[in-house]
Amino acid sequence: MSPRALLLTVIAGLIALFAIPLVTDNDYILALGISFAAMSVLAGGLNLIYGYTGLLSFAQVGFFGIGAYTATLLVVDRDWSLWAGAAAGGALSVLVALLIGYSSLRLSRHAFAIVSLSFALLCAIVARDWPELTRGSMGIPGLPTPTLNLGGGVRWRLVDPSDFYYLLMGFAVIAHGLIYLVVSSRLGRAMRAIKLNEPLAQSQGVNPLAYRLMALSLSAALSGIVGGFFVFYLTIIDPSIFDFYYTETMLISVVIGGPGSFWGVLASSAVLTVVPDLLRFTTDLRMVLYGVVLIVAMLVFPGGVGGWLYRRQVKRWRRPRPQPKPTATTP
Amino acid sequence: MDWSFYAQLLLNGLVMGVIYALVAMGLSLIFGVLEIVNFAHGEFYMLASMLAYFLTAQWGFDYWTTILVVTVVGVAVGYVLFEGLRLALRGEAFERSILLTMGLSMVLQNGAVFLFTTNSHLLESKLSYQNVVLGDDFRMPVARLYALGLGFAAFAVLYLILHRTRIGKAMRGVAQNRAAADMVGIDARAVSRLAVAIGIGLTGLAGAALAPVYAVHPLMGFSFVFKAFAIIIIGGLGNISGAAIAAVMLGIIESFAGGLLPLALTDAVAFISMIAVLLLRPQGLFGRGVRV
Repeated sequence: MSPRALLLTVIAGLIALFAIPLVTDNDYILALGISFAAMSVLAGGLNLIYGYTGLLSFAQVGFFGIGAYTATLLVVDRDWSLWAGAAAGGALSVLVALLIGYSSLRLSRHAFAIVSLSFALLCAIVARDWPELTRGSMGIPGLPTPTLNLGGGVRWRLVDPSDFYYLLMGFAVIAHGLIYLVVSSRLGRAMRAIKLNEPLAQSQGVNPLAYRLMALSLSAALSGIVGGFFVFYLTIIDPSIFDFYYTETMLISVVIGGPGSFWGVLASSAVLTVVPDLLRFTTDLRMVLYGVVLIVAMLVFPGGVGGWLYRRQVKRWRRPRPQPKPTATTP
Repeated sequence: MDWSFYAQLLLNGLVMGVIYALVAMGLSLIFGVLEIVNFAHGEFYMLASMLAYFLTAQWGFDYWTTILVVTVVGVAVGYVLFEGLRLALRGEAFERSILLTMGLSMVLQNGAVFLFTTNSHLLESKLSYQNVVLGDDFRMPVARLYALGLGFAAFAVLYLILHRTRIGKAMRGVAQNRAAADMVGIDARAVSRLAVAIGIGLTGLAGAALAPVYAVHPLMGFSFVFKAFAIIIIGGLGNISGAAIAAVMLGIIESFAGGLLPLALTDAVAFISMIAVLLLRPQGLFGRGVRV
C-alpha cells in the first residue's frame, strides 16, 4: 500500500471507530471496543519491547496493574483527579521498569526474561498479601465515577460506556501514534539493529542498554496509564488485575500478529478481542487453547502474519522485473 | 520466643531450601546444557505432586514406592521433553524456547485446573501425624525430615555424578563450552538428554517429597517456579552448586522472614534478593567472571 493510501485508510478507520458510539449505544459493542483499546495498547507495548527490541518481557501485566492500583489509590484515598492518578501510575511503572530493566539487562536477555516474569508474579502476590495498602484479595469495589477536567472549565463526567469508549480509544490512538513514531524513526531502526545483531549494532556506536531501557520505559508508561483508565471502567480493582490471562493474550497477539509488525499486532489484537468472546469457552479451556496456539505458532508459523507478509513482499522484490521489450521473450 | 521457635524456623527453612534446591538445580542443569530457561518447570513440579497424591491416596502406594515411581516418571518425561525441544528448536532460539515452554506451561497448568479444579488436596498418610518431639514444644513432622533427607541424598548423588563419573564430567563440559565439548568428541546430544532427564527427575523428586508436607493443587507450580528463577539468578545462571547453596540460603531467610516480618515482605524476599544480587554481583553470588 502506498503511504498515501495507508494514510487515507487510517483516517477512515479512525473516523469509523469514533463514530461507533454515535451510531449504536449497544453496550456489548462498546465493551468490545473498550477492551480492544486497552488490550491493543498492552500488545503494542509488548511488540515495542519484544518485536522491535528483541526482549521478551512478561512484566507488561505488572505495569498495567501497578498503573491501575496507583491511579485507584490516589483517586480514592487522596482525591486526585483521574488525569493525575493515571499519570502517576504511568510514572511509577516507568520507575519500576527502569529498576528491573537496568538490573537484569546488564547481565543478559535471559536474565531479563526471568526477572520480568518473577516481577509479574510478585505483583500479584503482593497485591494479595499487603491488605494495608491494597485491601488484599477483596480488592476495592465500587470505584467512583471519575470527572476529567478538559480545561477551559469543561468537566467531563465519565458515566456511560460511551464516555469510557472515547477516553480509552482516544488514548489508544495516541499510544499507537507514539509507538508508530518511535518504530518508524531513527530510534526504531536502532532498536531493530540491536535485535538483529547486538555486537554489530554496538560496534556502530549504538548503546543497546540505553535503547532497550527507552523502549521498556515507553511501553511501561503506556501500559501503566491504560491500566489507570481501564480500572475505572471496570469499577473494581483486585489482585486479578495482574492475572496471567492478560500476559497470555498479549503474547498471543504479538506472536500471531508478527513480532515487529505494527499493523499485524494491531489487527491480531482486534481479532483476539472479538473471537474469544464469541467462542465463549470456559476460562480454563480458553487458556489451554491459548497455550496450544502459542506452541503451534512457534513451531509452524514463526514471525506470525506480519512475518509472512514481509517474506512475501521480499519475494516480490526479488522477482525478476518484466522485460521492457516484449519482443525479447525466449520460448 | 525462645530457642525452640528459632530452631523450628531454621529447620523449616532448611526443608524448604532443600526442596527449592532440587527444583532450582534441575532448572540450572537444563539451562547449562541447552541454554534454555524451562518456563514449564514449575508445572512439572506440580504434576509430580499431583501424581504422588493420586498414587498414595487413590491407589494406596506407600511413601517410598511413590517417591521412586514419581522420580522415574520424571526422568522419562525429561527424555521426552528433551527430544521434543530438540525437534522444535534449532539454532539460536532463546526467545522461542521461552515461548514454547511458556505455552507448554499454560497447557499443563490450565489443563490441570480444568481436570482437577483449583481445590487443594491434602495427602494424608501414616506419616502425616507422626512427629519427632524434642523438649517441651519443638516438634517436627516426620514427612519434613524425610524430605530433608531425600534432598541431601539427591545432592550427594548429583554431586558424585557430576564430579566423579565420565558422563557427569561431560555434562559439565557441555555446559561450559559446547563447541569445545563437541571438538573433543563428547556426544552433546546424549549428554544434554541425560541432563534434562535428571533435571526433570529432580523436580519430580521434589514434588513427591513435598506432597505430604503441603497441600497439593494445580496452581502450586507457578508460585514455586518464581522462587526457583530467583535462585538460579542469585546462584549464577547455569551454576549448579551455586543454585543449591542459594536455594538453602533463601529457604532459611524466607522462613525467618515469615516468622518475624509481615506477609507481603516475606513474599518479596526472593525477588528483592535477586535484584540486589543483580545490581551488586551480576554474575551471581557464586559465579566467576561474567562480562557485564
